[in-house]
Amino acid sequence: MKTHWRILVVDDEAVMCESLAAWLREDGYAVDTASSGHQAIEMARTVDYAIYFVDLKMPGGLDGIETMMQIRRLRPEASIIIITAYATVDTAITAMKEGALEYIVKPCNPEEISLLVNRTIKVKNLQRENTILRKKLTRQYRFQDVISKSPRMRAILDLATEVSSLPSTVLILGESGTGKELIARAIHYSGQRAPKPFVAVSCAALAETLLESELFGYEKGAFTGAEQQKRGKFELADGGTIFLDEIGDISPKLQVDLLRVLQDRSFYRLGGAEEVRVDARVIAATHVNLQEAIAAGRFREDLFYRLNVIEVRIPPLRERREDVPLLAQHFVERFAHELGKDISEISEGGLKVLMDYNWPGNVRELENAIERAMVTCRNQTLGEDNFAFLAQNGAYAKGWAVPPSMSIQEMEKLLIAATLQSVEGNIKECASRLGIDRSTLYEKIKRYEIPR
Amino acid sequence: MKYLYLGATADTDHEAFAAIGSLLTAEFGLPLRPLELPPVDFAFDARRKQYGSIPVLEMVSRLCPGDAVKLVGITERDLFIPVLTFVFGHAQLGGRAAVVSLARLRQEFYGLEPDRQIFLDRACKEALHEAGHTFGLVHCPDRSCAMSLSTRVQQIDQKRAAFCPACARRLSRGVLT
Repeated sequence: MKTHWRILVVDDEAVMCESLAAWLREDGYAVDTASSGHQAIEMARTVDYAIYFVDLKMPGGLDGIETMMQIRRLRPEASIIIITAYATVDTAITAMKEGALEYIVKPCNPEEISLLVNRTIKVKNLQRENTILRKKLTRQYRFQDVISKSPRMRAILDLATEVSSLPSTVLILGESGTGKELIARAIHYSGQRAPKPFVAVSCAALAETLLESELFGYEKGAFTGAEQQKRGKFELADGGTIFLDEIGDISPKLQVDLLRVLQDRSFYRLGGAEEVRVDARVIAATHVNLQEAIAAGRFREDLFYRLNVIEVRIPPLRERREDVPLLAQHFVERFAHELGKDISEISEGGLKVLMDYNWPGNVRELENAIERAMVTCRNQTLGEDNFAFLAQNGAYAKGWAVPPSMSIQEMEKLLIAATLQSVEGNIKECASRLGIDRSTLYEKIKRYEIPR
Repeated sequence: MKYLYLGATADTDHEAFAAIGSLLTAEFGLPLRPLELPPVDFAFDARRKQYGSIPVLEMVSRLCPGDAVKLVGITERDLFIPVLTFVFGHAQLGGRAAVVSLARLRQEFYGLEPDRQIFLDRACKEALHEAGHTFGLVHCPDRSCAMSLSTRVQQIDQKRAAFCPACARRLSRGVLT
């Protein structure tokens, strides 16, 4: 990965410049040369060099120290090595005071330069890794790092930003993979509770009894194997936020327990007699249609209203296709680093495949698709071929084009039939999606003889 | 027919020249042709009491015959580039010319007892290293590979007179065409 780092050698003597550059190139680095301080500064504006070798004495009004100072103004992180044939204590002190990484006297031992370059590059690699890890960490928690240009998503982020400073319970609705936990974390880390814990619990992943002990904890001897007291997730989230994912999947008994916690802000550990009071903000999320679950008697209406104080509905990716290129490029950059692959972009053909796909698994599926494509890609660009696997799983929607000869009536008939099919014959939902009232829909179904 | 040329100034150690010739022929699979190089006194720097490797390399490059794939020049003189105290050799990366100095490869240079075999081994390894640069190879992190960087003779002694599998693959992928 040496060639990723560029080095600039600055010296008014061409033979000095070129010989050092050639020597460094043999080491595998990409090396440029500049014959003056002015030229070096111009080059530093456009290229972020890892190391600058700058000769101390250069004519033209800009010596090595002044050149270094100007480069450091442009690139505060620059590693600058001052080279001189005329070493004095004063210049060495000045160079180091102004931020030179090292001050070397030419001619110098090849080993000295080799060690210096290797050491500097090692530090640069660590710095870069640190920057990436920091970004990765903070990206999960900040609204400004949620990648979207969809107006609907911007409105959701505005709402989430507003509610982050409130103590109210939030219900996040959205299909799997839309980023419900990401929004929950952003709400937590943007509010006053940020220094306190954010505790996430996936309610669907655990059996009822296990989930109960996970949420509320247990006393010693509460059940076989309970050898010591254990605090539950609600207690761990005290002062912070508890994120209850897949809340639509919890059992009726747990719904009652949860309702009590939301009402009283207190609970009992399993097997315990002592009331435990907690101050944990609840953010719940689900992919389930809770209104339907209530109608079917699977979810308590009173719990729904307790949870649904503020509702945040995240649209599926297919309803905000404008975000696909942005998200895809973000994942390409991330996986290029994680997989150590020199892939930087997606071809037009590749992007078209991504735009035409329906993404039933939403952003998570897109993330996985980019990773899979990058693992098999042998070029620097992800092409159509790398996404061939998407065509095999049935969610590939061919790009829509206006049929060349079709009447408005025929088009209307097809649209109604398709919508009716997608809502499984639900007239109310179909009329709502088409933006017409039910009587009009009945009349059109009859007129076009659409089977129901 | 293309040849790998091995050049040397008249005073060059004959045994070293022969050993280098055998190794380069075997490693690159190219027929070898010897070439006598003129003295390099013109490159002498009186202040440093060494010979500039840049003008020597330029001379080798000028003398490179038309039927040469590469020309590797051998000299007994101690070479330097302006920014460094010395170089064991110098090559045009991906070019046609390289030069190797035998001056610092002998044990006696460091005040030690002479050792012919050590000297010949070092000469072969350095010649293979500089020839590798002309074929576009850069320094290799594998310390046992001939393409690893040596700034001390001890590092030359650590490596083998052969390319590691990765450098050999790079070489076979296109450098000989």
